[in-house]
Amino acid sequence: MDSDAFAGFYERSARPLWAYLARASADPALADDLMQESFVRFLCASLHEEGEVASRRYLFRIATNLLCDHWRRPRQTSIEEIPEELFASSADSGQTDLLGPAFAAMRPRERQLLWLAHAEGYTHREIAQITGLASASIRILLFRARRRIASLLREQSLTSRRQP
Amino acid sequence: MMLNPCSREKEVADLLRSGQWPAACAPELRTHVSACRSCGDLVLVTETFLRARSESAGTVRIGSPSALWWRAQLRRRNAAVERIGRPIFGAQIFALVVNLFIVVAFLAYQARHGMAWLNWLEQLPQAYSLHLENLSQSPLLNPGWNLMALIPAAASLALLGGVAIYLASEKQ
Repeated sequence: MDSDAFAGFYERSARPLWAYLARASADPALADDLMQESFVRFLCASLHEEGEVASRRYLFRIATNLLCDHWRRPRQTSIEEIPEELFASSADSGQTDLLGPAFAAMRPRERQLLWLAHAEGYTHREIAQITGLASASIRILLFRARRRIASLLREQSLTSRRQP
Repeated sequence: MMLNPCSREKEVADLLRSGQWPAACAPELRTHVSACRSCGDLVLVTETFLRARSESAGTVRIGSPSALWWRAQLRRRNAAVERIGRPIFGAQIFALVVNLFIVVAFLAYQARHGMAWLNWLEQLPQAYSLHLENLSQSPLLNPGWNLMALIPAAASLALLGGVAIYLASEKQ
């Protein structure tokens, strides 16, 4: 990929990638850093010409790995073990207007899966490639996560209607 | 929780993805979505996420791609230099080991032959009163003195010093 091709790819991919990182991490500053690092690693990788879709999926995979590395760093060994309190402090720092506390209440892994499936429109197979999880697990995890966030969004909507 | 997704989910998802929901949707499907919990969840979540995505993407100010491009080039260059430097470092270690071996071998050889050169070192202070007559009697010209052993030792030390200086300067 030459510099002009990269500039075009960056223009098309940077915003969605940032949105994914910011929503999944609930930390816009962290999203800035991870987005830059993702693009640098993407360029450093000797990726053959595979088209925009594959390149974008690869970029999201790098970003997902970086996010997982970031979460693992403070002693946790698994993303599933990270307490929600760790994210609660930064969850209110903007960017959560539409999804509100419903999204902040979800587990980090669920946020990733929900965003990739419903905001980016990736299939279960593509999400499996990005996250490194089994496709069958994605189906179950995503089904549960969607049901949970839908309930939370309905509750959130009811609460906001009741408030003057 | 039972995992029983609706058979019409894909149809609804395609409409949502193409932006045709709910305008270009059949009334029958709309009725189904209002009655089906799975499809209702799908519509609610996807619509909310798509709105959140456009909101997030609209607010972010992305940096210059050229800065990232050059950063990546620099990192690639550093990685290449490191990759090339690895065998050179191996060669340096090998040279160091060979030199150490030569020094040890020399010392062992000298120890076996009575350390004749030490006698010469002991007599060195007397060199202040060095005359030609003394020089002719010097252990340096003594057939018992192994001059040929001193030269490789000095060469080894010089070589070893050179390697040590090179390693130190390269690290800096």
